[in-house]
Amino acid sequence: MGYRVLHVDIDAFFASVEQVRDPRLAKRPVIVGNGVIASCSYEARAFGLRAGMSLAEAARLCPQAVVLDGHYPTYRAFAERVYAQVAALSPCLDTYLDECYADLCGTERLHGDPLARARALATAIRDDTGLGVTIGLGPNRMLAKMAGKRTKPAGLGAVTADEADAFLEPLPVGDLLGVGPAHRRELEDMNVRTVADLRRLPRETLAALFGAHGEALYERARGRDSRALTPREVPLSISRETAFHHDTADLDEIEGTLSYLTARACRAARELGIAARLVEVHVGYADGVSERGSAGLRRPTALDPDLEPVAWGLLRRLHRRRVLVRRAGVKLSRFAAAGPSQLDLLEADDGGRSERLVEGLDGVRDRFGDGAVISGRSVHLLGRLERTTHGFVLRTPSLTK
Amino acid sequence: MRVERLNEPIRVRADFAGGTVTPLALARGTQSFRVLRVNARWADRQGKERLHYFACTVPSGDVYELCLNAHDLTWRLTSVMLEG
Repeated sequence: MGYRVLHVDIDAFFASVEQVRDPRLAKRPVIVGNGVIASCSYEARAFGLRAGMSLAEAARLCPQAVVLDGHYPTYRAFAERVYAQVAALSPCLDTYLDECYADLCGTERLHGDPLARARALATAIRDDTGLGVTIGLGPNRMLAKMAGKRTKPAGLGAVTADEADAFLEPLPVGDLLGVGPAHRRELEDMNVRTVADLRRLPRETLAALFGAHGEALYERARGRDSRALTPREVPLSISRETAFHHDTADLDEIEGTLSYLTARACRAARELGIAARLVEVHVGYADGVSERGSAGLRRPTALDPDLEPVAWGLLRRLHRRRVLVRRAGVKLSRFAAAGPSQLDLLEADDGGRSERLVEGLDGVRDRFGDGAVISGRSVHLLGRLERTTHGFVLRTPSLTK
Repeated sequence: MRVERLNEPIRVRADFAGGTVTPLALARGTQSFRVLRVNARWADRQGKERLHYFACTVPSGDVYELCLNAHDLTWRLTSVMLEG
């Protein structure tokens, strides 16, 4: 059959969970988001609503839509149940917020016809969670995802390696994975409108136009995607980002939020046993301008007391405009395995106090929940943000995807 | 639709038969409600403690979200979704 990869995408994920929780929302336009749409139901999409659209614009297009803030720990719990069903098909999964890939290699004799098994999987997920999923099958990740995407919602699409050319060539170039709006416009300006048109461009031309990404497009236009499907034990980066509930110029609030996001990113890194060599801070202003800055670390670390001052330093360097701040975020990357590392003779050593402090705080959080301890400048958020056992309720929390 | 976020203790009558928990009725203050339907159930963690959540429709049509702490077997009302 040649279906090596199965892709599962949860349809209109956050909005669908809300419709399952409250059946009165079924068949009604539902928006989950705060300030901007994070997810909207297919009934809302019929009015032209899309993720990323401002709620003001959404209210103009669909005044009857039900708007909910959303509850991200609940969505994560539902996603885990979906992925548990997929894991029954294959032990090798690569999971994201609302989609996952499963490696089907060697499972045919165990599970039989992949198409029949995919249909049974969609039914099992619906029975268990009430959520609809779209499933794609293909010889690689890209084709599996694209096959499913064309059958959304609640669809099943399949493409074999032999069918890849006929499947890809008539597609608009913007439908090819990796071609975003900017690349699509650039290609269309050159009268490259379909994948077939793109295939006529030599590798050198695409590389000259888009650099390394052009090389990848050359391969993808031919249905080739050599990315291995392995559970990501070490992510490329860990990022935490949010919009503020109200645009702000309050440095305590901005620094407190950045501290909180840094602490959450550090904890995620510690749970994976990795330490970052690079910190990047992002500040988004109310007028749409955004600034990014990064700093390398002398020693890889995942300790909040080491990383927070670096993040604050970057923030002070970036936050120079007299415009209200709308978003802030932090990204850790260039990971190394956590553990003893070469000490620096010239660097002040606290004798492991920071490490022991963070270990103690992690112990408390493991036992009583992430929201049990607030540390560092995050205390500035007390009284400003709602707090649950999971921590502060951010306006638009955005996790590593 | 309005969502009231709460975190208050609540009395719940539940069926534990067959290894699953199904809320049957709840009492909030002086009011008591029958659970018409459990719309969704999911599990989460608060540190080491496992929490079981239930979204339940009561006769008024409103949806009560209940949380059972599996560690100390206490129930809390975490939110109410009201029409209007």
